Amino acid sequence: MIAVLGLVIGVVVGLFVQPELPDAVVPYLPIAVVAALDAVFGGVRAMLDGIFNDKVFIVSFLSNVVVAALIVFLGDQLGVGSQLSTGVVVVLGIRIFSNAAAIRRHVFRA
Amino acid sequence: MSSAPEPGREAAAENVDGEGKAAKKAAETGPVEPVGEAEHGESVEHVEEPAKKDGAEEPAAAPVKSDAKPELEPAAAPEPVVRLAKAVEPEPEAASGVESVVEPAAVQPPDADRNAGRRRLKAALWPPRLSRGQLVVALLLFSLGLALAIQVRSTNDHHSQLRGARQEDLVRILDELDSRQQRLQQEKAELEQSLAKLENSSNQAKEAQEQTRKKATELGVLAGTVKATGPGIVLTVDDPQGQVKADMLLDTLQELRAAGAEAIQINDVRVVVNTYFTDVSGGGVQIDGKKVSQPYRFTVVGNPQDLTPALNIPGGVVRTLESNQARATITQQQKVVVDALVDLKTPQYAKPASK
Repeated sequence: MIAVLGLVIGVVVGLFVQPELPDAVVPYLPIAVVAALDAVFGGVRAMLDGIFNDKVFIVSFLSNVVVAALIVFLGDQLGVGSQLSTGVVVVLGIRIFSNAAAIRRHVFRA
Repeated sequence: MSSAPEPGREAAAENVDGEGKAAKKAAETGPVEPVGEAEHGESVEHVEEPAKKDGAEEPAAAPVKSDAKPELEPAAAPEPVVRLAKAVEPEPEAASGVESVVEPAAVQPPDADRNAGRRRLKAALWPPRLSRGQLVVALLLFSLGLALAIQVRSTNDHHSQLRGARQEDLVRILDELDSRQQRLQQEKAELEQSLAKLENSSNQAKEAQEQTRKKATELGVLAGTVKATGPGIVLTVDDPQGQVKADMLLDTLQELRAAGAEAIQINDVRVVVNTYFTDVSGGGVQIDGKKVSQPYRFTVVGNPQDLTPALNIPGGVVRTLESNQARATITQQQKVVVDALVDLKTPQYAKPASK
């Protein structure tokens, strides 16, 4: 519950405060967001499976974000940034879908 | 998908841990370990394999699930243990501080087990619990929400959209803009050209219309359908004896025409190309079938310096009139008005011949 509140408050604060981000971070933000979403879906699924562990969630969340940003950064350095970020988004999207399917099975039993 | 392998896993977990606690508790604290956690090493395959399969063949999966369930339940014990051995590998270091918890749902009949996920979700959502783990997760989710909102905001905001773009994207965008600009310039040039053309033609049409109108007015003056004004003379013929006949008036008219009269009116009759004069038997004159009474008053537009001498020449109109006991007076004016009009008849037989 508190976690959900955290998410909601984050969205509200982001919408109303509109903080300025340093330019260096801006290209990696979308990928990091998608990676974090993947971690969140994985966490919800683990919770429904009854195997949720905050430590694992925190580590996976942070490592997901860092690795995704790193891949994009590396891609930018290699000159294939847009392709690589597309690939990352595709992979994360597939994972999000599969996690969402598992969650759906738990919640709707369908 | 996960419901098929899952009960087995839970049952196996129970075998290993042998502890039963409330579902509520289970959701709160970390249970067995990251078996299902998608990010965790080999467990990724373990969890996702069925998920992918399932996504591909959704309808086929349903009966399999329902069939497999009762079978799997009793048979679960041996098989998942093997699996668990693999999945639980990291447990020792990770689970050291975590209470291992097992779902009571696992030992319950399958129907209750199916509700386990929902119950866990409800338990996790309400009542709210304050624990360090929850707070850290909340913090992470807060940052996620923040980043999400910022990203959505900046994507919708057109100006800062380019801020995060990569160099190659920027180059591409610039190229696109360049070519678009070129295209638009070209279009603009074409449109301007056609505008100029249209303006030109409309000017020409206007000009032509203007000229036509002018011409029509000029012709109208000649034909007697338009009022005319300008310098000229007024010739008044007073004939108390009634000696002036139609032929004299006609002579006067010819003389005026020969001297360059452009528009002529006698009393209130406009003199045009087909004007005729007739003597009336009881005295007096008709012009164009209209009775004209004395004094005859010629209003003539033309050059007064030409008209006056033409009438006054020896043996000319004025002398002839005077010899018939008529009095002719000529007044030169800077502005005379010929305001009588004729009704124009459309010629019945004569048609314009082609040039």
